[in-house]
Amino acid sequence: MKESISTSVLRVDSRKKIRGEAEYISDWKFENMLYAKTVRSTKAKAKITAIKLPDIPKDYYVVDRNDVPGVNRMRTVVSDHPIFAEEDVQYIGQPILLVVGPDREIIYKIVSQIEIKYQEEEALFTLEEAEKRSTVFTDYNYKKSDPKKAFEQAVRIIEDEYSTGYQEHVYLEPQGIAAEYKDDTLFVYGSMQCPFYVKNALLETMALPEEKIRVVQTVTGGAFGGKEEFPSLNGCHVAVATHKTRQPVVMIYDRDEDILCSTKRHPSITRFKAGLDEYDQIIALDIDVLLNAGAYNGLSPVVLQRAIFSATNVYNIEHLNVRGRNFMTNLVPSGAYRGFGAPQTIFGIEMMFQDIALILGIDPLEYKMRHLLKQNDPTCTGGSIHEEVKMKEIVQKAVEQSDYYNKLKTNKKYQGIGISLFLHGCGFTGKGETLIKGKIILQKNKDVVILKVSSVEMGQGAETVLPKIVAHTLDIPIEKVIYETVDTGLIPDSGPTVASRTTMIVGGLLRECALEMKARWDEAETFEVSKIYKHPDFLHWDDDTFHGDAYPVHSWGANVAEVEIDPITYELTIKKITAVFDVGVPIDERALIGQMQGGIVQGIGWATIEVMKTANGKLIQKNLTDYKIPTSMDVPGIDCDFVLNPYEFGPFGAKCAGELSFVGSPPAVAAAVENALGKPIKDIPITPEMLMEIDNDH
Amino acid sequence: MVKAYRPNTLTEALEILSTEKCTIMAGGTDLMVQRARGSAVLPGFDRPLMFVGHLKELQKIYQDEEGIHIGAAAILTDMMEHELIPGIFKEMIGQMASPPTRNMATIAGNICNASPAGDTLPYLYAVNAQIVLQSTDQKRIIATRDFIISPKKTCIKPDEILVKIIIPAKEYSNNYYRKLGQRKGMSLTKVSLLGMADVVDGNILDLHIALGSVAASIVHSPKIEKSMISKKAGEIKEMAEEIVKQYADLIRPIDDARSTAIYRKKASLRLIKDFMENISQE
Amino acid sequence: MIIEFTLNNEKVKMDVEPTMRVLDLLRNDLGMSSVKEGCGEGECGACVILVDGRAMNSCMLPAGAIVNRSIVTLEGFKHTEQFKVIEAGLLKAGSVQCGFCTPGFVMAIESLLNQNPDPTDEEIKEGLSGNLCRCTGYNMIIKGVRLAIEKGAGLW
Repeated sequence: MKESISTSVLRVDSRKKIRGEAEYISDWKFENMLYAKTVRSTKAKAKITAIKLPDIPKDYYVVDRNDVPGVNRMRTVVSDHPIFAEEDVQYIGQPILLVVGPDREIIYKIVSQIEIKYQEEEALFTLEEAEKRSTVFTDYNYKKSDPKKAFEQAVRIIEDEYSTGYQEHVYLEPQGIAAEYKDDTLFVYGSMQCPFYVKNALLETMALPEEKIRVVQTVTGGAFGGKEEFPSLNGCHVAVATHKTRQPVVMIYDRDEDILCSTKRHPSITRFKAGLDEYDQIIALDIDVLLNAGAYNGLSPVVLQRAIFSATNVYNIEHLNVRGRNFMTNLVPSGAYRGFGAPQTIFGIEMMFQDIALILGIDPLEYKMRHLLKQNDPTCTGGSIHEEVKMKEIVQKAVEQSDYYNKLKTNKKYQGIGISLFLHGCGFTGKGETLIKGKIILQKNKDVVILKVSSVEMGQGAETVLPKIVAHTLDIPIEKVIYETVDTGLIPDSGPTVASRTTMIVGGLLRECALEMKARWDEAETFEVSKIYKHPDFLHWDDDTFHGDAYPVHSWGANVAEVEIDPITYELTIKKITAVFDVGVPIDERALIGQMQGGIVQGIGWATIEVMKTANGKLIQKNLTDYKIPTSMDVPGIDCDFVLNPYEFGPFGAKCAGELSFVGSPPAVAAAVENALGKPIKDIPITPEMLMEIDNDH
Repeated sequence: MVKAYRPNTLTEALEILSTEKCTIMAGGTDLMVQRARGSAVLPGFDRPLMFVGHLKELQKIYQDEEGIHIGAAAILTDMMEHELIPGIFKEMIGQMASPPTRNMATIAGNICNASPAGDTLPYLYAVNAQIVLQSTDQKRIIATRDFIISPKKTCIKPDEILVKIIIPAKEYSNNYYRKLGQRKGMSLTKVSLLGMADVVDGNILDLHIALGSVAASIVHSPKIEKSMISKKAGEIKEMAEEIVKQYADLIRPIDDARSTAIYRKKASLRLIKDFMENISQE
Repeated sequence: MIIEFTLNNEKVKMDVEPTMRVLDLLRNDLGMSSVKEGCGEGECGACVILVDGRAMNSCMLPAGAIVNRSIVTLEGFKHTEQFKVIEAGLLKAGSVQCGFCTPGFVMAIESLLNQNPDPTDEEIKEGLSGNLCRCTGYNMIIKGVRLAIEKGAGLW
């Protein structure tokens, strides 16, 4: 019998990585290459009144906005970020100009001699200040049923507020990018998730025709959203530099520069007002989501959309009024990060459910289960849960495997257990997939099959999983499936590597192509099958009213966290995580478990040790000495299990997975801490400093 | 581009120093990071550099009637593996930085960096370790607490090399060490407490308490310690409140990227109390 | 400063700036691109190499300090029996995702097993605590080391 698609295979890329032979962009060498160093704003908000340059030696260049051949704006959802600063700067770290040349010592010397004069203006930094001054970028609102009336009828109203902090991606490979001309075609190479985003940004900034630009993804050392929109900015930087110098230009960030200027997870506040009926059921919710977007919009509007469409999580609440606002502050722009706004609101609602249950004296898990969505229920945006919801099975597994109720009963003070339930909407939000219309090509070339997609391998396993889908369908060895170089000149645009869409959407298209290819296999020695993504007909979405199916399908999960708190120092130890997921069908179980464990640990980091704050617009934690991510000594044992729930439109039944892994551990850990201390947790990260203060009666 | 010396012997090193001010580099783990300017550019050293990490005279760990001598360039890993180093000191060193860094970092580097977060310092203060400084014409022996003047500042003279540290060859019957960092692996210290005592038949014969990262220098008070010595272990519990109050006056922490002043203070006092409770149960 | 050292068992003699980071020396002058730069401050372990058999952060190591010492990078280490066993363990356990931390981990694993051929899981975690990984959550890396230890009994 043929092996199941879930049976693990060796990762295609692991051997070269273990041998140190994978070539990341910092390992690339070009003939006559120049290095670039960015000069950045040291002020949070100011007019630039003068830039005084020293004498620039031969072979060295200063590159600024005057060198941009096209539009000096980074193209993204809202194209407001200048490639190079113009009259003003809006955050510390904003790029003003580049110094480019062959010797880095000399570049550093030139940089140290550049004097920039500013006229400082009053800046603002926190969500509280921004709300007071109404510096709103985006203000969204949607309603379901009749919240006004429902609140009037509610017998009890409970209000609460939850906040989350910054998170830095800390992909181990810092941002790196390079550009060169070959004849008159501009090539940009780099560590990135979305080669076509970079290409589209270059089209506008470089004012070149489509065929004169090629973007090539290089081995990418982790991304997690941090290399979604950001490479469009540094990609334009090196492109403008190579345009000016006519030599290859390479720009690799040092870690401190990367932390200073790259996007981060949006800090958030989520306010809830819950209306309860006489049976303690939540019949109405008023949710107000505030995200700190930083100085420019970028992707923030779509992050906010996912945040508000995920705000009711796995629960069916009849009456809803949901508002979401992005606020402008003079901080580095926030952007895409695994979960894309959803972890913030799901943290909030999970804690809200737990806190209301505790107020009511009901077991939190039981209270959550009472509100659970099921198949054919309306979603918060008035769409429908089309898939079977297997949350009961998921929760049962998680509860049994962790011995949840027994531990809940027998835990002493300072020992805690907590559970979170969660979902993730698979693929792009709303009309995203229908706008992108991802295209893929599968090419038969005698006994090998070439797969042409713009999805990138960035650690998540695309280079193994996508060929595996094709190989499995065609009944050929995986070695016979060649993953074409992700070069926009060689591949179609199958969309960016984001939104946990790669396996489900791109993999789904590959499966369709492979099925067709299989049927036509003997037709010719070489031929090509191509498909364009089509959204299933039964899905409807209205982008103006936010009504309909925000997502085609969801993946679901439950996490149980066990914690211990040191009664003297309030140091927090995560003892164990039990995780159960419904991702449809795992395409490769081992690769998937690795991804899930990694996401869970990133979530733990965000919820506990990853403190990042600012003072007067400056990051206080500006390097990896001060900003701590989990080490091997900080991680618990993680049990990972799956509930099978095949999705009709996913390849072999697969749904989304990558972001789902992140969402559950923060509220599970926070719930466990509440359980350990008997005190409510409203904010993450949960630090010993905070716990000591909360437990002040001790 | 700085000049650099790599002397073959200690004598040669001292001769160079007698005529020229140099920055002395042993493991490099502090200096190379403090002076780093970026990838592929040289760190910014303003004085000639002298490498001393390779000097065999500075690497030895041995014992004589004066105590245990730890060569200045002994790396942390070697100390952890050495039979002469007291157990609690090994445990403290084992919680410093990470294994690769401990394979490079030296004890003298940790001392000369003179940071209140230097993790060997609470021990060196507590046992009154002697720092041996050598120049071509003289040898000075100074207590650690006198050697470190203020954060980042020591009393070493430009012509001197810190050649070794002498600690008593002594293990205590009760040892207590807690290092609080931002995470469990590889962290700089936000609070540390070292407590050591000799309790025999319920009598406290000797006792030391030292705290790191909670003031401009290591907090160590022989005076407060004295008030506990020769007490019955059982009496200590009643004294705890008063003792903690005395330490509270000495603990003056700051807010920084890693913690808050208020947490540092509260956690230190709670740790002192915990140590005293442990002793009282002897 | 003229320095001599061995790199992957071959003698090297060269004129270097003594304060240059060995990381830069290896990557830029000697073509050892397996040595990665992840932070430049000794926090991430991506630049870990072996010096006289022990793991060190090459970003904090000045060139003047490696005189007469034996440097091993993955370019040399990958030809050893120990490497093959570590590689097999990591492959089988699924320890690798983005791979940027992996060379540093391989060197740190070798150093750990040199010092302690039979570590407990806690000792493995401690031994690798100077190497950051953001993808895996470490569980599978520890499992990979465990597999290597089982398969390579007697090698260390």
